[in-house]
Amino acid sequence: MAQDSQTPIHEVVMIGAGPAALAAAIYTTREDVETVLFERGVIGGLAAVTDWVDNYPGFAKGISGLDYAEQLRQQAERFGAKIELAEVTKITDEGQYKRLTTTDGDVLAKSVLIATGSDYKKIGAPGEQTYYGRGVHYCATCDGAFYRGKRLVVVGGGNSAVQESIFLTRFAEHIDMLVRSDHLKASEVLQHDLKKHQDKITVHFNTTTDEIVGAEVDGVNRVVKVAGTDTTTSQKVEFQTDGVFVFVGLKPNTEFLKDSAIELDEYGFVKSNEQLQTTMPGVFVAGDVRSGATMQIATATGEGATAALRIREYLEEHGRKHTGGKDYRE
Amino acid sequence: MVKHITIFTTTTCASCGMVKKWLDTKGHRYEVINLDQNPERQAEALALSGALTVPVTVVTKEDDAKHVVVGFNLAKLAPALA
Repeated sequence: MAQDSQTPIHEVVMIGAGPAALAAAIYTTREDVETVLFERGVIGGLAAVTDWVDNYPGFAKGISGLDYAEQLRQQAERFGAKIELAEVTKITDEGQYKRLTTTDGDVLAKSVLIATGSDYKKIGAPGEQTYYGRGVHYCATCDGAFYRGKRLVVVGGGNSAVQESIFLTRFAEHIDMLVRSDHLKASEVLQHDLKKHQDKITVHFNTTTDEIVGAEVDGVNRVVKVAGTDTTTSQKVEFQTDGVFVFVGLKPNTEFLKDSAIELDEYGFVKSNEQLQTTMPGVFVAGDVRSGATMQIATATGEGATAALRIREYLEEHGRKHTGGKDYRE
Repeated sequence: MVKHITIFTTTTCASCGMVKKWLDTKGHRYEVINLDQNPERQAEALALSGALTVPVTVVTKEDDAKHVVVGFNLAKLAPALA
């Protein structure tokens, strides 16, 4: 299909505006490569909704996820990156251009970076969907404040579960952490921090989350307990609670690629070669959505920078003249 | 026509910032109620939205009809402001 004169054409379109895309945009825009990012959710991605980023190099005392995301956004926009708040729903290879269908209309791109990241998985237990947003949550920094002086259950035993449990102690009177395995997968540092909060957090190992149970209390149907199983004894266990926060791993945001020519791995992550190029020429991938990603902010930004350099090479191989960039120093 | 927009937020909520940013880009003015600073208004947010989450955006039209949008949901925010 040939491009029509009405459809905007961009040198690079980045799908997502998390750390990988924003880092890539800093690199492309500093090289004077015109760059537009499409974000359907939060600028900064999961990093922005993380309470505290403690292991990103260069911040000696750590930084809040929200502040980090804001710094990234400002840095990318300082060089000319343009962020559109819209969702990309389809990508089609039209040869010289890729056509991106978005909720604000179609755009054409000479090259594309997929950096849509990942989102928290659901556990799939009965009651989880019923009470979503009304007692079942996936964002502690958004919804923790509703639980001042209340009891909470946190499901999961990885970095996010431990870190967000510690954050939730600001509000909750007590937290029961339900961990399916016999150990925490969180880093040693976080496990050490967790011990400082053992007056408020009780960790239950070998415990599955079977059902989130609600009942009518004071005329309101709300979460009252979590039913689970102690897998060492097969005994049913129950935890009285006012709310449940779920942090059981990540799933890639690749629904929009399911019918495209871009190949995904068996878990839905985007496959790429050593150049971070996908199976659609001119379309690159970086960050948590890439097959083999290590799910760290530092690696996401590194991959973003690498992808930006590969994109520039790709554009130059396809006729773009190197401009030498701009001087942005104040 | 939109008469008034209220956003219920918390201090650490990234999605709340996105709603404000989006409304800014569309040229809308709005009132912010921070539930960390005003916890007594949590019940009001719950009653309006049925949800224990933020952001909750309440768009009041000229005829006083209220449109309530939970989360940073462009598919619902845009029609609510139309």
